[in-house]
Amino acid sequence: MAHRVDHEYDYLFKIVLIGDSGVGKSNILSRFTRNEFSLDSKSTIGVEFATKTLQIEAKTVKAQIWDTAGQERYRAITSAYYRGAVGALLVYDITKKQTFDNVQRWLRELRDHADSNIVIMMAGNKSDLTHLRAVSENDGQEFAEKEGLSFLETSALESHNVEKAFQTVLTEIYHIINKKALAAQEAARNSGPPGQGTTIHVVDSSDAGSSKSSCCSS
Amino acid sequence: MGKKGVPEWLNSSIWSSSTSSSAATVAAASHPADRSPRSLPPPKPEPPVQAVIPEPPPSPRPAPPPPPPPREAPRPSSGTLSGDPNPSRLSEEDVSRQSQLLSEVYTHSLYCWMLPLQFFHGYDLLTGVKMCAQLSKKVINIEELRRLASQGIPDGAGIRSTIWKLLLGYLPRNRELWGQELDRKRVQYNDFREEFLVNPFFSASQSEVARRMEESCCQKNEELGSGGHGFLTRSGITHDEHPLSLGKTSVWNQFFKDAEIIEQIDRDVKRTHPDMQFFNGDSSFAVSNQASTCLDTRRHQEYAEADAFFCFVELLSAFRDNFCQKLDNSVVGIRSTISKLSELLKKHDEELWRHLEVTTKVNPQFYAFRWITLLLTQEFNFADSLHIWDTLLSDPEGPQETLLRICCAMLILVRRRLLAGDFTSNLKLLQNYPSTNISHLLYVANKLRGSSAG
Repeated sequence: MAHRVDHEYDYLFKIVLIGDSGVGKSNILSRFTRNEFSLDSKSTIGVEFATKTLQIEAKTVKAQIWDTAGQERYRAITSAYYRGAVGALLVYDITKKQTFDNVQRWLRELRDHADSNIVIMMAGNKSDLTHLRAVSENDGQEFAEKEGLSFLETSALESHNVEKAFQTVLTEIYHIINKKALAAQEAARNSGPPGQGTTIHVVDSSDAGSSKSSCCSS
Repeated sequence: MGKKGVPEWLNSSIWSSSTSSSAATVAAASHPADRSPRSLPPPKPEPPVQAVIPEPPPSPRPAPPPPPPPREAPRPSSGTLSGDPNPSRLSEEDVSRQSQLLSEVYTHSLYCWMLPLQFFHGYDLLTGVKMCAQLSKKVINIEELRRLASQGIPDGAGIRSTIWKLLLGYLPRNRELWGQELDRKRVQYNDFREEFLVNPFFSASQSEVARRMEESCCQKNEELGSGGHGFLTRSGITHDEHPLSLGKTSVWNQFFKDAEIIEQIDRDVKRTHPDMQFFNGDSSFAVSNQASTCLDTRRHQEYAEADAFFCFVELLSAFRDNFCQKLDNSVVGIRSTISKLSELLKKHDEELWRHLEVTTKVNPQFYAFRWITLLLTQEFNFADSLHIWDTLLSDPEGPQETLLRICCAMLILVRRRLLAGDFTSNLKLLQNYPSTNISHLLYVANKLRGSSAG
């Protein structure tokens, strides 16, 4: 079973879901992977894990999503979960200003533990709760631009923009990987056939008798 | 300012149409002894708090609830978050009456222990009989009780709560001491509440604020005696003691912080088992239910909070280190506990260990962190969790060793699937552990005994 699954995708991308406790990370995940939403989902302890396979520009991409616990207590533990992540969905709650203010701290967390090229999408979740809004969409947008992040407002409850948020992150990752692959091919081509441009030193063999060795300088 | 000796804003019409009720009255009701009659003019004001702010007092922040309104009746409604950690409902009279009842029930009613037997069947009946017999002894043999309980306590009729209390050491072995000990603990719990749950309205009479304010008020009253017209001057109040204060030492600030934490806890409790009435908020169900239960149960329900608190303390004392962030990287913290599980698996099933951790690179942290910190309560349904806990609490090797053995047995029980799985399917399996025969799980765990790693 495992082996069959292994070969069903072209790319595997690891994405982490981060943000303060209670902003709706787990519901974003369950909406995306299972199309489910629960108002009283349990708080995440440690990490929860889910996958979803989708098409990006005719390639099959498997997203491996790590839903982390938002509570401060788990930071020391969760830092291990960032290893190998190529994308992050950084979530705040548009009805809780504090969770938006803490985005800065989460960015620091990513800088400390994740790859520096990680693709980050900031998501202002619970956009359905318009009457409770405490962070304007404009503020979110401005902050994202300043920090060079993608940005969307989402509603896991109404299934609004959730798919799009993941799709955007994954597509961006795909483009970066593609570009890197091209660059690598280019580099390989440019290195040319062996021997060209290298100097061969022939060691003076006057004292070495039969052993005529040569070595290439690098 | 009003005649009642309460902050002016408390009498504001936004709280209540009546001005006769006040926080001070409530406080007085709960501490009748140290209160003087309210009607004497000029008032010797004993306000819980005197606000420096002019009325009305708009809530300073959007998030925390506004200060609760003064209560209409001295006996406040129970169970609300923000306003009522009411600790002092227990008068001395109550205590002695309860104490009497307790000893009556506990010392005489062997019948009471045999009553539940009607709920047991087959194997349960035999175990149930033995357990009840043990419970009815004057001095309980804990080792024997452990032995019986480790095979599972029969569901159905309320002996589990007593057995767990014994296993946790909350109840002494000698039954004659139960009533006395429970009384002591329950009073102690109330003291804890009074000490730690800051309520600027209610326990003001005992708080530092109140003391300071009374001092300053006395002064003022003396000054007023000559030419005053009943108004309190505002100069005597410390700058920190008002609801808008952000000062670290402010009782009010502490109160709002506590309220936030309590709100968080309440949210988490409600969604722990949303399918179960008990966890799911609305207490009207519970209240109506109480009416039909027997006296004994009702009394236990009344003190369930205190009892649960001390049982929880006892329980956590065995697992405390897993929750201390500072110990995360030490030899006793959560990481090391998880490593012990890994060693245990390696010892008993090296093939499975190798496949999991080396071949498919499933770090045990990814699943065992929750298994261990929540004592498996999120991996199984509630009834199954109770059975697992019977074993956790009764095993003489101690709860942590027992827990690790059970976790190891969980891995071994699904070994065939794990050995066939890759990283993704294995992690998904372990994070969503399939429902299983708990007796069999505990049986397997028991087989791993005596070989604990580390």
